[in-house]
Amino acid sequence: MKQIDDDIVFLRGDDLRSMILEASRYFDAHKESINELNVFPVPDGDTGTNMSLTMKAAAGELQKIESLPIGEVAQVTAQSSLLGARGNSGVILAQLFRGIARGLSGKEVADLSEMGRAFQYGIVHAYNAVSKPVEGTILTVAREIAKGSREALQTSLSFIDLLRVAIDSGRKALEQTPELLPVLKEAGVVDAGGLGLIVFLEGCLQSMLKKAGREQDAAYPDRRTMLHVRDPVSTGEKKQAIVHDEEFNPDYPYCTEMLIKGECLTVHEIRRALERWGDSLIVAGGSPIVKVHIHTAHPGTVLETCLIYGTIHDIKIDNMIDQYQETRQDGAPEGGGESKVKKIPGAKPSVEERRLPGDMGVVTVSSGKGLEDIFISLGADKVVSGGQSMNPAVKDIAEAIMQIPAEKIIVLPNNSNIKLSAEQAAELIEKEIMVVDTNSIPQGLAALLALNRKKTLQENYASMCRRAGQVKSGEITYATRRAAIDNIRVEKGNIIGLSDGRLLVGKKTLKEAAIALVGKIIAAEDEILSLFYGQEVPVDEAQKLVKELHLRYPQLEIELQYGGQPLYYYLLLVE
Amino acid sequence: MSQIKIVTDSTAFLEKDVLERYDIEVVPLHVNFTGESILDGTIDSAAFFDKLKKSSTIPSTSQPSPGDFARIFKESIEEGKEIIAILISSGISGTVESAKTAAKMVDPSRISIIDSLSTSGGLAFLVSAAAQAAEEGKAREKIVALLEDLKNKLQVLFVPESLHYLKKGGRIGGAQALLGTILQIKPILFFSEGKIEVYEKVRTMKKALHRLADELPPASAGLQVAILTAEAEESTRMLKELVRKRLPDQPIKIYELSPVIATHVGPVVGLVFIKHTN
Repeated sequence: MKQIDDDIVFLRGDDLRSMILEASRYFDAHKESINELNVFPVPDGDTGTNMSLTMKAAAGELQKIESLPIGEVAQVTAQSSLLGARGNSGVILAQLFRGIARGLSGKEVADLSEMGRAFQYGIVHAYNAVSKPVEGTILTVAREIAKGSREALQTSLSFIDLLRVAIDSGRKALEQTPELLPVLKEAGVVDAGGLGLIVFLEGCLQSMLKKAGREQDAAYPDRRTMLHVRDPVSTGEKKQAIVHDEEFNPDYPYCTEMLIKGECLTVHEIRRALERWGDSLIVAGGSPIVKVHIHTAHPGTVLETCLIYGTIHDIKIDNMIDQYQETRQDGAPEGGGESKVKKIPGAKPSVEERRLPGDMGVVTVSSGKGLEDIFISLGADKVVSGGQSMNPAVKDIAEAIMQIPAEKIIVLPNNSNIKLSAEQAAELIEKEIMVVDTNSIPQGLAALLALNRKKTLQENYASMCRRAGQVKSGEITYATRRAAIDNIRVEKGNIIGLSDGRLLVGKKTLKEAAIALVGKIIAAEDEILSLFYGQEVPVDEAQKLVKELHLRYPQLEIELQYGGQPLYYYLLLVE
Repeated sequence: MSQIKIVTDSTAFLEKDVLERYDIEVVPLHVNFTGESILDGTIDSAAFFDKLKKSSTIPSTSQPSPGDFARIFKESIEEGKEIIAILISSGISGTVESAKTAAKMVDPSRISIIDSLSTSGGLAFLVSAAAQAAEEGKAREKIVALLEDLKNKLQVLFVPESLHYLKKGGRIGGAQALLGTILQIKPILFFSEGKIEVYEKVRTMKKALHRLADELPPASAGLQVAILTAEAEESTRMLKELVRKRLPDQPIKIYELSPVIATHVGPVVGLVFIKHTN
């Protein structure tokens, strides 16, 4: 490591390695303060835990290597963190690593500007991971960090200075998150994933300071005053992806942007169709408008491809080589070697294995023996354990996909915080995979009812999405803290009822809460209520509740099933 | 008098006046209760279900023997007629095999055996169409071609109240997969290439009936629609209303299930129609 006045200006592979190991340790020590930031006071897959486990997955692999070039260390970090990524924030963090790895690809060491540039790649990848990037989340914080550090590169001399500037920019952006995301403002707090990213950088800084023999900086002083923040990529209204001042690969000189308007735009599908035509791909939004951004060698082909999905508008094509020659002042851009995570070939069906009709399989995520049995009985081939209590890692879902001897796979994540992991897993496996956007267990069950193995993957995807959207669902759990959301006040330990991501009731007893939630959900046209009771609810108590509900809703069919799920006393499915 | 004799089996359960008008010959299947075998089609649906409920075991059913067909084929051939036999799907019964064996015994060059890939109301549709074409004097090859075309356009959807009977009878086909289902569902079943398969899984009878009605094609000149029913008065009434709402001017036939089919499906309501007309 070269040092100028104790300051570090080059990073070797081992430096990056110990930086990430240190950051992982540091993060783990601070994860609880991030976990406390949760918009809903529910026992949920927590942002701090998810990001920490994602970093630990990388740290675990990094411990096995030594004396590798920085490009390879970054590659190991990217690959292992992606496989171990949990929750939306974990996936975004892993994507950031993946972009950084791409920026450092082929390098023995990296200087300040190279690291800065690598981080820009990281931002692009993080955005790419998200179908509907929401401002006011980890993405905003990451972008502002990149912007701040780019400016600092003009003046800074050391990594320590650079990291301090990056952390400061991040903190400023974090403070702005409530202004960008109304749900944060309502709760008077900041974004948890954004804070997670800053904590990660703080960990990196601690590692650098240690190396330089300096005193460690104090942690962010106000951290504990910021509470109640939700995971990113939630229900925010803003649907835009913004990446300014981007780097580019001279092989793909045409920056092509447009809007696609259409009735059934699937971001995932459009992204897949465009992927092979270039890089820096961003497909963001959702029906009726999707924004497309790509660097390509064939803008014509890109336009034609987009036309398949809808009408195209606001078309903009720039030759970035021209722009670059006009504006570039310092060194030429790096080619940016491709460092895509290797695809894992799917398991080929062996003769002994059960032959699946229609060569189609279903992976679903659920916890509890009863629910697992129900999912299997409805046709799921693999049930990945996880859900509210613990979000599964990308590799857990990827392994389940691989194990099914079918080439076409449908994944039901059944939780909004597992969807990104499911999409990442889908990208890792060489099979035709579609992720249905199911946000709860009841939605997952409803979607699975629509499965028809005689139909094509696309037809099933469409009917499963439709079916999931048609049902009403409810969840009953306990409040992990005191809160006031949507005009509902709850004390820690109260029993609360939620439906489709909204807090609807808060009561002292389970029975009161259940009856109140059913009352809020049921409408005159509803015909059947399926009640799945969790592992903490005795069967006779569940049966008493059903009797009570029968009296109140004589027209309604009520079906009681053992779900066995932890933490959630009841799950409700209404049709 | 037509020179073509139309033959079918008892599962078509056609009304007497239609059978007489077109001189259609019906070869019966059998329902075997313990100690008593009855000929399908000789007992009405209500009386049959009464008997079924009183029986401690679910009866078995059996296809006609080749001899049953041979006797009828021979008679018509001797009268100088050609024969078209339209029969219950080979996917759920061996009746077509019996008839083919009989045809070989009698005169294969003058007998066409049509596998309806359906039964009950679906089979009844085909038989009626063939009888009309024969009356119009169409040639056997023409009528066979017409039937082959028609049977691919035929849609038979039905919702059994329970899968109990299908399971016992072993003719459950692709609906087998539903047997382990823990959640309460009302499966919409249909005939797919002659076998019983799952069309869609819904949760309640009301939704199932709406889904059936949703499948109806728009009104057109050649459209035929019939409701299938066995021991399902309330659902049948509701379905009829739904069909009438969608197709106000459409005559709706009601076909009861023959005892053989009722034995295998149990209480049920269903819908038969021609998916699209030319």
